[in-house]
Amino acid sequence: MELVEIKHLSKSFDNKEILKDVNISISSGKIVGLLGKNGAGKTTIIKLINDLLTPTSGEILIKGKKVGVESKKIISYLPERTYLNKQMKVSEVISYFKDFYDDFDDNKALKLLEALDLSVDQKLAKMSKGMQEKVQLVLVMSRNADLYILDEPLGGVDPATRDYILDTILSNFNEDASVIISTHLISDIERILDEVIFIDRGQVILQSDADTLRNKEKASIDEIFRRMFRC
Amino acid sequence: MLKLLKYDLKYMVQNMSVFYILSIFFAVLVRLLNMLEQTVIINILQSIFSGCAIAMCANILINTMMRSWIRFRDSIYKDESYLTHTLPVTKSDIYNSKFLQTLIFFIIGFVIVLLSLFIAYYTKDRWMLIKGLINNMTTGLEFKTMTFVISFMVIVFLEVFNAIQCGFVGIVLGNKCNNGKIGFSVLFGFIAYLISQSVVLFLVFVVGLFNSSIMNLFTNNVLLDATSFKLLLFLSISFYVIAISCMSIICKNELNRGVNVE
Repeated sequence: MELVEIKHLSKSFDNKEILKDVNISISSGKIVGLLGKNGAGKTTIIKLINDLLTPTSGEILIKGKKVGVESKKIISYLPERTYLNKQMKVSEVISYFKDFYDDFDDNKALKLLEALDLSVDQKLAKMSKGMQEKVQLVLVMSRNADLYILDEPLGGVDPATRDYILDTILSNFNEDASVIISTHLISDIERILDEVIFIDRGQVILQSDADTLRNKEKASIDEIFRRMFRC
Repeated sequence: MLKLLKYDLKYMVQNMSVFYILSIFFAVLVRLLNMLEQTVIINILQSIFSGCAIAMCANILINTMMRSWIRFRDSIYKDESYLTHTLPVTKSDIYNSKFLQTLIFFIIGFVIVLLSLFIAYYTKDRWMLIKGLINNMTTGLEFKTMTFVISFMVIVFLEVFNAIQCGFVGIVLGNKCNNGKIGFSVLFGFIAYLISQSVVLFLVFVVGLFNSSIMNLFTNNVLLDATSFKLLLFLSISFYVIAISCMSIICKNELNRGVNVE
């Protein structure tokens, strides 16, 4: 059984079709790059998987089950925005995650926060946006989930922190889990990808194994992307 | 659901406790000043603190209402919704938690307001005066004083809680629109409130068709007799409970059909 199966998925707002008949299949143990230009529909797909949007048609199955309470137990999601209650301290957010997610490892979270020099006694409201994003990444990667979905985890982050984030991602998920990373900063994540999915104007235009694609096109994923999406 | 409620209550405690403390603080000041020898300055200070205490009491009720709406909107449709909707809980649990949070804090608010008023203004003479006034009203209506006071408070409580529920309905329906969510939320909330009030009035009218005493409310200035008053009270309480339940069902159904977060 596939970890994620998306069948004939469409999403419209008013009369504008944002996603058109999207079909995606993702198996366990893969790092998948969801790649596309800004506004291609990457975030819409991710939000649909996470029950933040309702499909116009089609279905999404996570381990064979429709999106719901059971799928949320096994998906760890990092949105592109800061979403925690800013009145909370970091320690309170850790307790919050521990209360709701059985797979949350608070010791791991504390270690990662310490490595980032982030105090657990600090209120989120007193932190910069970058620091808040790091706290969110720590929380998300401290779960022993089956599927991690990271929406633009490198957006607005300096190159040194990008490497740190990628290392954190790579060293904090188990081998049976899969990771979906949505980004348009392909060169930064290319080295860690097993599979790529190219999205353009709400449609999947390519889904392939990363190495196979590189060998076939004799170019890096970044170059292939630039070639395909040249304006 | 209890875990969600725990955090919702925590949020309200963080935001409302300052008003509770201030309300009681000003009430105590009014009481203390009342115990001193009355001079012009003391009288002026008493008037100022009395105004503050009353303002805080009003503030508690208004703030509870506003905070409940803001909390509801923020956790279901704004940035925080990215966390709320990805928690392994049902949409009904999310709604129930918000509903109970509002109910609990409305009761607490009511109690704090009554407590503040009691601290600030209770004297044996005033109590006897109020009791006498209520007795005069209830004698003709064959009501025990306490039953009347409790019934009256229940009606006021349900009326305000009904308004809060209308706000929730407005937010849920308004956020189904892709554009102008705030405007439509206010509009749908207002429509829900108008409908609920119109249905109460219609229901009273329908009962009036079979009860001439109640029909007098629509046709002349004659006061209700005891039996009709009790019937009206019973109908109002029943209707508000039904209306609040119906609006809860509407909200839960809409949420279960799925959300579209920005």
